[in-house]
Amino acid sequence: MQGYNFAYLDEQTKRMIRRAILKAVAIPGHQIPFASREMPLPYGWGTGGIQVTAAVIGANDVLKVIDQGADDTTNAVSIRGFFARTAGVRTTTKTEEASLIQTRHRIPEQPLREDQILIYQVPMPEPLYKLEPGKAKARRRHALAEYGEMHVKLYEDITRFGRVAVAYDHPVMVNERYLMSPSPIPAFDNPKMHRMAALQLFGAGREKRIYAVPPYTNVRSLDFEDHPFHPGRADQKCALCGDEKSYLDEIVIDDQGGRMFACSDTDYCQGRRG
Amino acid sequence: MSVLLEARGLEKKFGRVTALDHVSMALRRHEILAIVGESGSGKSTLLNVLAGRLSADAGAVLYDGGDGLAPLAALGEAGLRKLQRARWGFIQQDPRAALRLDVSAGGNIGERLMAGGAQHYGAIRETAAKWLDAVEIDPARLDDLPKYFSGGMLQRLQIAATLVTGPEMVFMDEPTGGLDVSVQARILDLIRGLVRRLGVAVVIVTHDIGVARLLADRLIVMRHGRIVESGLTDQVLDDPHHEYTQLLVSSVLPA
Repeated sequence: MQGYNFAYLDEQTKRMIRRAILKAVAIPGHQIPFASREMPLPYGWGTGGIQVTAAVIGANDVLKVIDQGADDTTNAVSIRGFFARTAGVRTTTKTEEASLIQTRHRIPEQPLREDQILIYQVPMPEPLYKLEPGKAKARRRHALAEYGEMHVKLYEDITRFGRVAVAYDHPVMVNERYLMSPSPIPAFDNPKMHRMAALQLFGAGREKRIYAVPPYTNVRSLDFEDHPFHPGRADQKCALCGDEKSYLDEIVIDDQGGRMFACSDTDYCQGRRG
Repeated sequence: MSVLLEARGLEKKFGRVTALDHVSMALRRHEILAIVGESGSGKSTLLNVLAGRLSADAGAVLYDGGDGLAPLAALGEAGLRKLQRARWGFIQQDPRAALRLDVSAGGNIGERLMAGGAQHYGAIRETAAKWLDAVEIDPARLDDLPKYFSGGMLQRLQIAATLVTGPEMVFMDEPTGGLDVSVQARILDLIRGLVRRLGVAVVIVTHDIGVARLLADRLIVMRHGRIVESGLTDQVLDDPHHEYTQLLVSSVLPA
């Protein structure tokens, strides 16, 4: 495309982001500040993820973008179109064909491989945010690995609701050192992060932070010994493909209270239906 | 008894105001030491410096964590915070500042346990209930939010939340200030009973001579950032030598 550098960002900016990514990979789960740029989409739509993607994408990459598991939502279609135009790369909706997958709020059902990179869009990178609103103080806690209070939140949930009530963005301990927000993926997806073969990169544009989980890194969801972590899932099967193990969306289909459950990962669902 | 905490030549200035002027003192194991003096005498500053919450301009605080007296500064920030989270405690005048009001009583008591790595929900809960009982709050209120507690109950809750890790030393800053007299008396009774039973060493700051007389083994009288008199509580209060101490003792209203 004329008038734009390859993949929209200029080369100096990409180098700056790559440096942040290298640091992030070297210290799994640790948030690295970076000079987040204005992107041609609003904050909250994936400005962090799109910058990470722009920094790592090459001419031979095949890009897949999902939003809540779906390839055909506005956000996913626009970001895919954006890179098709500014980088001229091939795009796909098939998980196994993609070398880069930018995602909002889901991890694909199909296990990822070593030659793939998963890029998360992150709204709030700080897992301690709700317990410790002071950012300087929160950083100090990360430095000293003082994470015990995170359990206070879980304690309260169990006391009030009988179980841990966070269904998404359930905090994880990475490499037994840094507490990390997995971005608002459902708790159902947390176990997939553990020792994943693919590199996982996280970009938070508004908060100007990048962090990473290198391949085959331990990722443990916080829990209590007597209340183990529970990856929640609707107790239904997919109305389209009949799967009983995948993560389901509940979809309202009429104004008579009718609803159906269907796989949130559209590519996985289509693959099963053949 | 061996010295647990020692201060040597502490100096602290806030602008032109001298809060601590060459203060040296020692606290022994299992001992209750009261620091008395009027407002602005530097007693709270001394407490905060001793507890490692404030750094002095000069001088050192030494602590015996098991292998002899060593300067707090040598512990580093991580080491100091570890001490403060488990082996030391700090009870503030205003429990609202110390507690999480939107977290249940059990969660507040359990916080220090969880910060220390406790990860068994049932065990934390059981300990919390036991401590509520120990500070004379009905254990049925374990899941209630502290914002519905009275001032006296909040202070009891703070005491439970501090003592739950079995600290060897607790700093108290006017723990009964702001409470009405009958509640004060019961809280003092509770503190006296608990610290004696657990053998905790205590440094308590108070402007109330009565509190010092009731609780403390030894007494330090401060004025203008200086220690003007110190000794056994009864000795100092019954036979005050320094004129300022005499003034303090004589200004207590007869009961």
